[in-house]
Amino acid sequence: MLSVLRHYGSVAACYLRLTFQQQLEYPLFLVSWMLMIPIQYFAGIYLLKVIIDHFRHLNGWTYPDLVFIFGLGLLSHGLMVVFFINSWMIGRMVIDGTFDRLLLRPMNVFFQLIASYFNFIGLIDLIPGIIIFLYACSLVGFEWTLPNILKLVLILAGAVLIRAALFVMIGSIAFWTKKNAAVHNFALVILERTTMYPLNLYPYLIQALFTFVIPIGFISFYPASAFLDRDRFVLPFDLAILTPVIGLVFYGLSQLIFNWGLRKYESAGT
Amino acid sequence: MNLAPYYYLTKMRILTNLAYRFDVLVSIGTNLVLMVTAVFLWEAAFSSVPEKNGMGVRDMVAYSIVSTLLGTVFVCGVQDTIYHKVREGQIATDFYKPVPLLAVYFADDLGAVAGDFMIKAIPLLISGAIFFGLPLPESPLGFLLFLPSCVFSYLILWFLSAIVGLLAFWVMELGNMGLVKDAIVRVLSGSFVPVWFFPETLQWISKFLPFQYTYQTPLGIYIGVIGTAQALREMGIQLIWAAALFLVLALFWRKTKKKTLIQGG
Repeated sequence: MLSVLRHYGSVAACYLRLTFQQQLEYPLFLVSWMLMIPIQYFAGIYLLKVIIDHFRHLNGWTYPDLVFIFGLGLLSHGLMVVFFINSWMIGRMVIDGTFDRLLLRPMNVFFQLIASYFNFIGLIDLIPGIIIFLYACSLVGFEWTLPNILKLVLILAGAVLIRAALFVMIGSIAFWTKKNAAVHNFALVILERTTMYPLNLYPYLIQALFTFVIPIGFISFYPASAFLDRDRFVLPFDLAILTPVIGLVFYGLSQLIFNWGLRKYESAGT
Repeated sequence: MNLAPYYYLTKMRILTNLAYRFDVLVSIGTNLVLMVTAVFLWEAAFSSVPEKNGMGVRDMVAYSIVSTLLGTVFVCGVQDTIYHKVREGQIATDFYKPVPLLAVYFADDLGAVAGDFMIKAIPLLISGAIFFGLPLPESPLGFLLFLPSCVFSYLILWFLSAIVGLLAFWVMELGNMGLVKDAIVRVLSGSFVPVWFFPETLQWISKFLPFQYTYQTPLGIYIGVIGTAQALREMGIQLIWAAALFLVLALFWRKTKKKTLIQGG
């Protein structure tokens, strides 16, 4: 058992070294991303400020609250992009045949998929996320007490799992259809609009959908509501604690679907 | 001038776009999410303040719906096309074609515009109308001015994209600078939040940039916030920008072509 773990650990370390070298081979290529992504996020909160300057609040959410949810949503997005980016690549790997390579090796396929790409470039998303979240914390007067910090860590872990699970499920579609790029973009847009803006801007039907069917309300909306004590529109207990639980369950479900897809999978080649 | 090759390219683009039915469906869904969420956000904003800058909630709903439609129709594939072709070297074979290259890309994009209008914009308009009511223009005259204004908007956007696309010949190692341009356009064009809501200094600066004339001008004309006299004035500015960017593009293209020939040995 221990030797298996050690083996997996050494493979992960090897992957880590490789991806680090690979991603920094052409550092200048990142210039456009390094400009585009921060512009997008900082402009995002600036536009919220412009709106609030005229309208005071959005369904009870003031500017500090809005930045808090935006920052919290962006943090888990950044972490997901750093650690689980290859869940976005399943479709492409199935099409160009590189996925089949993972099947030939005597090692867990999902582990290979995720461990083989530790995405340093994702820091371009994560760092603006940290800046915006810290800015929001000072705006709303977030108290950095031990319970709050623990809660935050648990929430972020759960939120990353929910996001990763969603993309693993979408990626698994490619095992059947060979193609999932369009669905992937659809999910990205939905996630952006539901985790970085308050979910209660939208009608009850949509809120229910993203609470009970696809639990992305737990990525940032319910935790932020709990932190900000805006729980007049949510259930009477601390929903923030549910995020890690739902994250684990949803993640487990995504593993079942992934493995089911693997059994059905026939290579794209002839 | 023989237009047959361009007509062929445009037709082929329409047909290819129609071939991927599932992708079209999901793309409509994606744009529908963008439209619906923008509308709900503005409805939430206007729920406590009934009127702002002469606009009510109905105006901003129409603004958001038509903005999404313009977003699906204003296809500027040229910047990605040039970027990828330069990176992969295919641009060399494109130079063999007996027609001007930029005109080829323009015809290709026009095909995408026509195709996306039919298969994306119209279904989106119908769904928007079902959810929020048909976003009618303020007046028939406003609608008549809106149409040419959209054409000018598209020209400005396309020339900008082509210029940024040509950057790939010069600074290939910096990645796709079109992404940066797109991020700037999204904010300063007023496609989501109109520039009228920005602080005054920013509004003043924005008047001297081409971006607000791409989305805000036609949309403002459509919802009637921009009156006839001002509409004509802004359309004049649109034309000036389109002409200026066209000139820049033409000069830049000439320089770039020379550089490519040298690079090719």
